[in-house]
Amino acid sequence: MFKFPARLVGAAVALTLAAATLALAQQLELKLMAPAAPGGGWDQTARSMQQALVASGVARSVQVTNVPGAGGSVGIAQFVNSAKGDGNQLMVNGFVMVGALAMNKSPVTLEQVTPIARLTEEIQVIVVPANSPIKTAQDLATAVKADIAKVTFAGGSAGGVDHVMAALFAGAVGADAKKINYIPFSGGGESLAAILGGKVTAGISGLSEYEGQIKSGKLRAIGVTSEKRIAGSETPTFKEQGIDLVIANWRSVVAPPGITPEQRKTLSDAVEKMVKSDAWKEILKQKGWEDAYLGGDAFADFLKKETVRVTDVLKSVGLVKS
Amino acid sequence: MDTFAALAHGMAVAVQPMNLLYALIGVFLGTAVGVLPGIGPALTVALLLPVTYKLDPGGSLIMFAGIYYGGMYGGSTTAILINTPGESASMATALEGNKMAKAGRGGPALATSAIGSFVAGTIATIGLAFLAPWLVDFAVRFGPEDYFALMCVAFVTVSATFGDSPIRGLTSLFIGLTLGLVGIDKLTGQARLAFGVPELLDGVEVTTLAVGLFAVGEALYVASRRHHTEEKLEPVRGSLWMTKEDWKRSWKPWLRGTMFGFPIGALPAGGAEIPTFLSYSTEKRLTKHPEEFGKGAIEGVAGPEAANNASAAGTLVPLLTLGLPTSATAAMMLAGFQQYGLNPGPLLFAERPDLVWGLIASLFIANCMLLVLNLPLVGLWVRLLAIPQPWLYAGILVFATMGTIAAKPSVVELSMLAGFGVLGFLMRRFDFPIAPVVVGLILGPIAESQLRRALAISLGDPMALLQSPISATLLGIALVALLAPFVLKGMGRFKANED
Amino acid sequence: MTSGDPVQPPRRVDRAGIVIAALLAVLAAVLVWDARGLQSTAMYGMGPEAMPVVVATGLALLAIGNFIDALRGNLPARESADPVPVVLILVGLALLIAIIGLGGGFILATSALFVTTSAAFGRRAVLVDSIIALVMSTLIYLAFDRLLTLSLPTGPLERLL
Repeated sequence: MFKFPARLVGAAVALTLAAATLALAQQLELKLMAPAAPGGGWDQTARSMQQALVASGVARSVQVTNVPGAGGSVGIAQFVNSAKGDGNQLMVNGFVMVGALAMNKSPVTLEQVTPIARLTEEIQVIVVPANSPIKTAQDLATAVKADIAKVTFAGGSAGGVDHVMAALFAGAVGADAKKINYIPFSGGGESLAAILGGKVTAGISGLSEYEGQIKSGKLRAIGVTSEKRIAGSETPTFKEQGIDLVIANWRSVVAPPGITPEQRKTLSDAVEKMVKSDAWKEILKQKGWEDAYLGGDAFADFLKKETVRVTDVLKSVGLVKS
Repeated sequence: MDTFAALAHGMAVAVQPMNLLYALIGVFLGTAVGVLPGIGPALTVALLLPVTYKLDPGGSLIMFAGIYYGGMYGGSTTAILINTPGESASMATALEGNKMAKAGRGGPALATSAIGSFVAGTIATIGLAFLAPWLVDFAVRFGPEDYFALMCVAFVTVSATFGDSPIRGLTSLFIGLTLGLVGIDKLTGQARLAFGVPELLDGVEVTTLAVGLFAVGEALYVASRRHHTEEKLEPVRGSLWMTKEDWKRSWKPWLRGTMFGFPIGALPAGGAEIPTFLSYSTEKRLTKHPEEFGKGAIEGVAGPEAANNASAAGTLVPLLTLGLPTSATAAMMLAGFQQYGLNPGPLLFAERPDLVWGLIASLFIANCMLLVLNLPLVGLWVRLLAIPQPWLYAGILVFATMGTIAAKPSVVELSMLAGFGVLGFLMRRFDFPIAPVVVGLILGPIAESQLRRALAISLGDPMALLQSPISATLLGIALVALLAPFVLKGMGRFKANED
Repeated sequence: MTSGDPVQPPRRVDRAGIVIAALLAVLAAVLVWDARGLQSTAMYGMGPEAMPVVVATGLALLAIGNFIDALRGNLPARESADPVPVVLILVGLALLIAIIGLGGGFILATSALFVTTSAAFGRRAVLVDSIIALVMSTLIYLAFDRLLTLSLPTGPLERLL
């Protein structure tokens, strides 16, 4: 493991050359907005796209800008207003933005942007502590139906994918989603402590976040939200257990409003080419992201349906006033 | 698995000349980027991570550890020299550190901060190596009610930063608490005090407030009283290095700071700010030179800096044993580890001992390199203060605003920075202490959300706060700490009456 | 902080102190007003309006405390302050914000701040300072943009680079 060839020069030079070396032939010069602070999920997606677009020769240069604020509400407002009709701009977004826009009563909506493609998604999971009497999703459903207030769910921020999922679960098993006792935590670490310490009944999160705990037996996964069972996994889906709960935390990329069909096609083609490149596949593997490419009108359709679904759920739990 | 043998093997690999060089480059890059205000350790690591891709796993791990420590230290350097804390955890350092720098003792301040970081980092890394599995069992038992109780302890100790008038100290604290309310309520997603401005929905950034109050406010204040005395900054007065006396006054705070920092850092929601405050107030109470506090007491730099670094090592406990990033920096480190095929989690110590011990050995080496690189630089850094006053303050303001421009380039954010600058100026002018505002902004929201989480879990029953043994103990400590000064004062009066 | 300088004779009633107390009271009122618009139904236990009310109560009490201090003239003595440099720096900050807001770019914005601050601290060599400022901010811009790939606001000067 620890053997070191003398490659000092590489280190010093890498900093300056990392981004600037490859590809001249293409003329695409893109500006890519991450509507979040540097370092977060959307920023990482944007910077990975930048890497893959340039490395695969799809674009000559990609400039990433960060416009953080309120789950992307600030970023999308700026994107829609200042990039209108510009065929060389893209913005990364995802599930969280749908809820954030609704909750923050944003004047700008996702209907205004031009959908390009969904890129990745993450399957969600519900876990309970290893010593919990709850063994299956049906056990949890029974508990929820018995006294919904006493079943506490730990998860991420209010109105985020975990919260929406808790409400969907309650609705799917026939309980009143408005009454769920959902406790938002600011990070996976905090909510995990609450789950392991038995402070809450169940925890909701992206599958990869708790994979280690599930494997080591500290947590029990009682259901995942994929359509079909994940290959090689012992955890059943909710569907298998008779609960209609399918949801994923997706990330996508969109273009400004008012671009021409040709411009849209150029951008869509570029993203499609990037998704199929080895560079992108390598990045997905490195970061542990699931490829969920969905392009063109199929994605536009998906985005519309997802917006309706999330907004309905947030209204039902009282986070968005109807 | 023999811990010592594994560690020794990791060390043997890490001290090869090439690896020492990688560590040095990492520390250098980390420090260089880390001193830029607004770029905290997390962002430093994020920006420099690609540099390490080109190396083999061992070399990149070591360089990565160096970048990490360098980034941590860079934030303290600006806190001491130009009163611009690079991240919230360096705030306590700025309180005494900048006063020392102004009094020509910037050299010892930077030195005690570097050596304290080294000592704390070393002890905490040892703690990580030997205590991690045990500590993490304790850490996950902390529930929301226990965190709330911990916040209560922290709040009680805030009074150490109040100065001489409790009313004015409390006023500052409540201004901070008010600012902490701004933005989306974490538990219900509703906007508070945002007045429809989208930029306010994320709340007030701690660094914007701290830089505004400290750096901008100070520049305004100094400018306003230039006609009284031409304040002449002497970069070096007395010894550039730590004197025997400095060492004597520093070593205990280093150790105490480590004791605060490591365990609290290991808590999933512990953070680095609370241990630095606890350390600051402890040192203020225990010092033999209370008159120097507020004017540049070396204990007030040594303790918080050690606490800051130890808590950073503490965050590695849940990261390595549970695979849980509990801070932005830890999240970036996780991304880094995955790069090297390390998948932190409960199985890591058993499955890949070579990588774990390699990492821990790398941390040791990087820590040493930090000292090697930064001690000689102390002399250079303090020379910065020799820049003529107009340029110095103009440079400080450019530097201070640059951080905000880089992190959040919006007119609203910059206006807030300027507004906090004016607030800082007025507070200085009317003699309100500055630090409690920032403390209130940091602690208020945490205390509120933990309390509300605890109450949501217990369905509104406040007794839940006393039923947890950890929380009951901490609340007891807070109560004693709150009442002790009054009781002692009362007893003193009683005795005086008897005489 | 105040040693050795001429201080204003202590007045019985401190007007600034009364203004501060009034501001605190206003702040408390704003908090209560804002909290009234929140709905507490979305959660068990304590709602989002509880903490603002607690803080507002504290601010109101502190307003009273500061008011009493001001009436008694308990505030520490203040030295006279020179408003000119303060205003100059604030103009610099306003320029910075305006230039960035209007798309003038990082280099011009920080240079404006540098020159006004330097002038506030007594320098009159505006031209020399401008050159120093432009060179410095250009270097900073290049470091951020090229080495760290962090985008700072761009304006006409940045596009030339």
